[in-house]
Amino acid sequence: MIIMSEKTKPEQAALVQSAEPTEQVPDWLGGRLRRMFSEVMDEPVPDEFKALLKQLEDKERGS
Amino acid sequence: MSQDRFLDQVTALLPALRAFGRSLCGDPARADDLVQDTVLKAWTNREQFQSGSNLKAWLFTILRNCYYSELRHRKFEVEDPDGVCAAQVAVSPDHDAKLHLRDLNRALQELPVDQREALILVCATGLSYEEAADVCQVAVGTIKSRIARARDRLVDLLGDDAARVGGPLAFSDVDSNELSQRSGTS
Repeated sequence: MIIMSEKTKPEQAALVQSAEPTEQVPDWLGGRLRRMFSEVMDEPVPDEFKALLKQLEDKERGS
Repeated sequence: MSQDRFLDQVTALLPALRAFGRSLCGDPARADDLVQDTVLKAWTNREQFQSGSNLKAWLFTILRNCYYSELRHRKFEVEDPDGVCAAQVAVSPDHDAKLHLRDLNRALQELPVDQREALILVCATGLSYEEAADVCQVAVGTIKSRIARARDRLVDLLGDDAARVGGPLAFSDVDSNELSQRSGTS
């Protein structure tokens, strides 16, 4: 299963593959675990991370 | 892989890293600190990453190591699991799903960390058993048995409200012990 939100660029789709149900856990539990995970995945990434990544990119270019 | 491409891919994986960190430690702010450490360590050690291998599993491994080293430092601090868990989800009391996720988060934090991470890696992040075994540096069979123990514990802790939501057992005056026994043996 691939989750494609509007925020997801096509080339990122393969990286945000969500878990397949596993026979080891009952459906209600597996579903709840995946929901917990995808709720955080759907949150916008805080600006502090963009700042950090920008800093690393600049460092790379400068060196 | 060019360095820009590396950072692009790390950026694309930030949501998954935040979700993994949060389900591991149960606390959004602490999880984001872990993710920041992870990104920095990944960048510092980027030469060690082999292009074409699984970046997501590699980053998860780094995040897990950051979490474990943080746990060692926190060992003697007094924890407040209820406070930590309460911060996890903004609770709107009328929203069953939100309550369920809060309960799940609380129950996850009651598991031993090795069981918690195995369960999350396989059942939530989309890693295969083999990849999860690599991340945790154990055999696939060990991952499976940890998941089985985690599942049994969570069914004990949460099984009664799953039965209540899922089926005709929707009456609230049923003794919850009876319900958890019933779902525990099914």
